[in-house]
Amino acid sequence: MSSFQRIKNIVIGVVIILFAVFIMMAPQEGYLFAAVVISLWLFIYGIRLLFFYFTMARHMVGGKLMLYQAIIILDLALFTTSIISMSSFTIFIYLLIIYGFTGAIDILRALEAKNNGAKNWRLKLMTGCILVIFVVLMAVLGLIFKKTDILIYGFCLSLIYSGIMKIVTAFRRTAMVYIQ
Amino acid sequence: MNADFHYYATYCAAILSGYSHEDSVDIAYSDRMVDHCTRTLLSIIKAPLNAATTQLQLELMDARTDLVGLQDITRIWASFHFLPGDLHAEPPKRSGKRYKNKFRLICKPNGELLEHTVKLAKDKPVQAVGVAMHVLADTWAHQNFAGTPSMVINNTNNYFYELIPEGDGYREVKINFRHSTSTPDDLEKSIYTNSLNTNTENHIMLLGHGRAGHLPDYCFIRYKYLPAWGEYEEIIKDNPSDYLHAFCQMITAMKYLRGETDRFERGQYDFSAIAPYRDEIDRILNKRQLDASQDWKALGEKLSGQAIPDFELEQYQGEYTSAADKDNTFLGRFITAALAQKSMVTHHIYQSGNKLAGYSIEANKKGLLWKLRSLTGGEAHE
Repeated sequence: MSSFQRIKNIVIGVVIILFAVFIMMAPQEGYLFAAVVISLWLFIYGIRLLFFYFTMARHMVGGKLMLYQAIIILDLALFTTSIISMSSFTIFIYLLIIYGFTGAIDILRALEAKNNGAKNWRLKLMTGCILVIFVVLMAVLGLIFKKTDILIYGFCLSLIYSGIMKIVTAFRRTAMVYIQ
Repeated sequence: MNADFHYYATYCAAILSGYSHEDSVDIAYSDRMVDHCTRTLLSIIKAPLNAATTQLQLELMDARTDLVGLQDITRIWASFHFLPGDLHAEPPKRSGKRYKNKFRLICKPNGELLEHTVKLAKDKPVQAVGVAMHVLADTWAHQNFAGTPSMVINNTNNYFYELIPEGDGYREVKINFRHSTSTPDDLEKSIYTNSLNTNTENHIMLLGHGRAGHLPDYCFIRYKYLPAWGEYEEIIKDNPSDYLHAFCQMITAMKYLRGETDRFERGQYDFSAIAPYRDEIDRILNKRQLDASQDWKALGEKLSGQAIPDFELEQYQGEYTSAADKDNTFLGRFITAALAQKSMVTHHIYQSGNKLAGYSIEANKKGLLWKLRSLTGGEAHE
């Protein structure tokens, strides 16, 4: 990782943490903010992937995966945009599904990494399990107490975690094969 | 390729092509030096940083992957370790300029640039011969990968099978990869280390053959895999055969460089020179081991009747740092050869309409290079 990339990660990490704190201070508007930010991010990312597929990845073995990834992400972006005007409960359910999905993917990737003999599968598995447990916990709490605000705090906590991880990544050594 | 081939095998090839023991040691040293001449080392001996022929792990980790950073990486790795096979190659399917530029940097043996590389070393000191031999040998070992970070060219998937000789045929064994650089490759279980997978096109993990681990560097291995650019057609890589061709082509090239033959032609391999030692060379190339240095060293000492000194990185550093006329020191001549090679390759890539290696002034004349270096305070523009 270059110095520029490290600085970029630190800045992004700090911005994410500040954003999370801001949402915690205004939880009602927080849902709207969360949905807008997620949909925008997904949209830009999806377009970038689509462009990359048509200019480069379509020639690559396994390149179709990039196309599927782009379509799914753009679809998610549109769906997220469509629920901005809906009730906070719908967004609550949607966020839960997103978290559950991310957690499940993390667990699957950890198992794949384990099968390939990679060392870092434990951390990935732990993250996935924590996310799934978090989703179940939030769903039970939200449905029992009928207070959907609780998920916003959970959302903010996960944002803060992401921000911290970005900053930690900036200081990590990235192992690679040295070619001779 | 590993140090065994880039030092001891080069020594053997130099002896077989008619060089003296002393010259052969210098050629082998210069060949091996290509894998050690980093900016870090050059800054220690206060030499032009632009002469770097490789990058340390830490240098790579810290390398920028914006356009300027990519050009710097490409200049080093395409010039010395992944010499492009055909700068005007057309991809199998119609594609845009961005893809073509990457595709055209794929390393292949017997390309036009190889001929330029060998001819560039003609009538030059033995250090230039060593640099050229490193580049030549790597065109065989590193073929099908490019000396620039690229997912669409250098990536590989899980389809990797080792072909182990058994009876009249081969037994296929699934190759498993891990990302632990501190653990040696496990030849018994076919577990090898490779770089991490990423879906970022210009990620440094996707430079050269990182995704295939050290498989291209082992002389004994045969394997099949799917290169990212290959339209789902598997490639069978036969390293013992490729390394043998590299060895014989080095002899052909060095016979030309020392004036025994008038012309260097691509696709010519001096098998007759190795005929008396063919069985021994085949045995070394097929032996399953991580380092074949001792075997090559024994062959080299048998060929010349002289002891081959071990490679010592610091051997010529004192001479260079204390010399008033640095150009005429061992490292000075190596640096001049490295600059000429880098400049020549960069120039040809640029002339082909490909900006991935940046711009180079084709400066074969030392005077111009030194003038540029002095103008830029040690870091000449390429």
